[in-house]
Amino acid sequence: MRARLPVAIVALACIGAAFVLLPVVALFVRAPWSRLGEALSGVGASTALRLSIEVSLAATAISVLVGVPLAWVLARGEFPGRNLLRAVVVLPILLPPVVGGVGLLVALGRSGLVGRWLHDVLGIQLTFTTAGAVLATTFVSMPLVVLATEAGLRGLDRRYERAAAAMGGSPWYVFRRVTLPMVAPQLAAGAVLTWARALGEFGATITFAGNLAGRTQTMPLAVYEARQVDPGGAIVLSLILVVISVAVLVTLGGRLTGLR
Amino acid sequence: MVLEAEIEVRRGGMTVAATFAAGDRETLAILGPNGAGKTTIVETIAGLVPTADARILLNDEPIHDLPPERRPIGIAFQDGVLFPHLSVLENVAFPVRARGARTRAARTHGLELLDRLAPGIDPGAKPGTLSGGERQRVALARALAGTPRVLILDEPLSAVDVSARADLRALLRRTLRDFDGPRLLVTHDPIEAMTLADRLVILEDGRVSQTGTPQDIREAPRTRYAADLVGMNLFAGRLTPLEAGAGELQTADGVMTVPWPEGIPVGPVDDVLATLRPADVALHTARPEGSARNVLQGVVEEVAVVGDRARVRLASSPRLVAEITSGSAARMAIGAGTMVWASFKAVEIHLMVERGPTDTL
Repeated sequence: MRARLPVAIVALACIGAAFVLLPVVALFVRAPWSRLGEALSGVGASTALRLSIEVSLAATAISVLVGVPLAWVLARGEFPGRNLLRAVVVLPILLPPVVGGVGLLVALGRSGLVGRWLHDVLGIQLTFTTAGAVLATTFVSMPLVVLATEAGLRGLDRRYERAAAAMGGSPWYVFRRVTLPMVAPQLAAGAVLTWARALGEFGATITFAGNLAGRTQTMPLAVYEARQVDPGGAIVLSLILVVISVAVLVTLGGRLTGLR
Repeated sequence: MVLEAEIEVRRGGMTVAATFAAGDRETLAILGPNGAGKTTIVETIAGLVPTADARILLNDEPIHDLPPERRPIGIAFQDGVLFPHLSVLENVAFPVRARGARTRAARTHGLELLDRLAPGIDPGAKPGTLSGGERQRVALARALAGTPRVLILDEPLSAVDVSARADLRALLRRTLRDFDGPRLLVTHDPIEAMTLADRLVILEDGRVSQTGTPQDIREAPRTRYAADLVGMNLFAGRLTPLEAGAGELQTADGVMTVPWPEGIPVGPVDDVLATLRPADVALHTARPEGSARNVLQGVVEEVAVVGDRARVRLASSPRLVAEITSGSAARMAIGAGTMVWASFKAVEIHLMVERGPTDTL
């Protein structure tokens, strides 16, 4: 038998769903379908899309490479200040991305805390480069894979790792052949969330890396710029991002949304 | 190869302190109720309890300073603890590969072990698809795969269906017997301990309350727990059919009527084990009338009073231990040298038939 739902709850739920759906529908309705090709080339969509994919994948790779060990330390380490460390790691989720961008600027910008040294001694400049865009995107999106992986590690039955150690596995071998494969589902879900967040990154990137077509202008930045000169182009670019997001949702099915 | 252990661990408000030794090719059972600290002992020997204060010697060589992966110990863990993401074969090959062997060599070795200990199990299956008994067989193969010098079996029968126990028990017996080194059997099941081990260490509340052969402990249990669980009458012998639903068990020193075990074809069966709780043996001053199939006469050898119970050892054939209240013992004036009658029903006797391949030793 179906559950009978109170009318008020159903009504509010409908408002909630419509609120999310309406802008998406509006994008489809108002898209300049007749001059689609022209609009696409006019705003440099392919360049921005390629850059977006490169930047978001690079940021995801870095996030996994650094974030998984970080999750491991947070889940398994016993040291003073562990909770403080976790708070710091999670901070970018709560922080407005533009604040992250400003922080990166004063840290790694040409005259920044570390950036000055990077520039003067090593000749490395991060601002206004693709590397800078990757860095800004990583800053904002990494916490997602850290949190998901840490939850996975905490839920892992420790007996498996203990058994593996007792059977001759060195700590590194146990991590590689037991711990990592056993948290793979959570890690993968976290990585997908990280990538999705990276794909949509705007504030930190534009603040730290600027808005240079072909170098730091990812899709969201391109939408923002097109918005001022070519509203139709902005809609087309937005639609592309909507299609990608829907495709990811469909591909992952319930795995992403069913994340505990 | 001799294993000596002197362990003291504080864990979760409980202190586990135990000293014991297992000789070369000796099976030592660590027997105790749940929560007595058995698993802590296993983990300490394996090196998995960093806070443990332990002295563990293997042929006088200390191994307690080694990290777990360098201790030459093979453990079949309680419930198996097979890696769910690896196949049966990969599980068995794990200890070999972890120690740096090539994948091919590890697989060959793993297949040999599986063939011997777990025939009929698909090496490519995931552990999640196996029954409790099958998982335990794989765990046993994995424990032996790293060619350890000490073998530890932690509750090897606890997650196994009753129907699969007889075969597995026979396999455990052979595996323990064939293992060239000290063997530890950790269990809460006294029958398992008594039938598989050469000596027992009884662990209660983190302390060793008694150590000895099954015979020693059966005859003189020192605590209530030991008396209840280990002080069981144990018979071994040949079973022959007697009448519908009943058989006769011929032991080395006597004969008794027993129920015919379920699922066993009617015909002579060798190597049958039978247990009888002392409390199920009734004592009488005159020959009893009634339905009990087994009525024996014998001289009382000893009366030991533990709390409000009296354990009476009879030189009957077969020899028996009976447990009655100390009040009854006093009323019947039972003491060493008294001639008494003992009776017990056939249905009180529990039989264990090992259906696995007959021992070749």
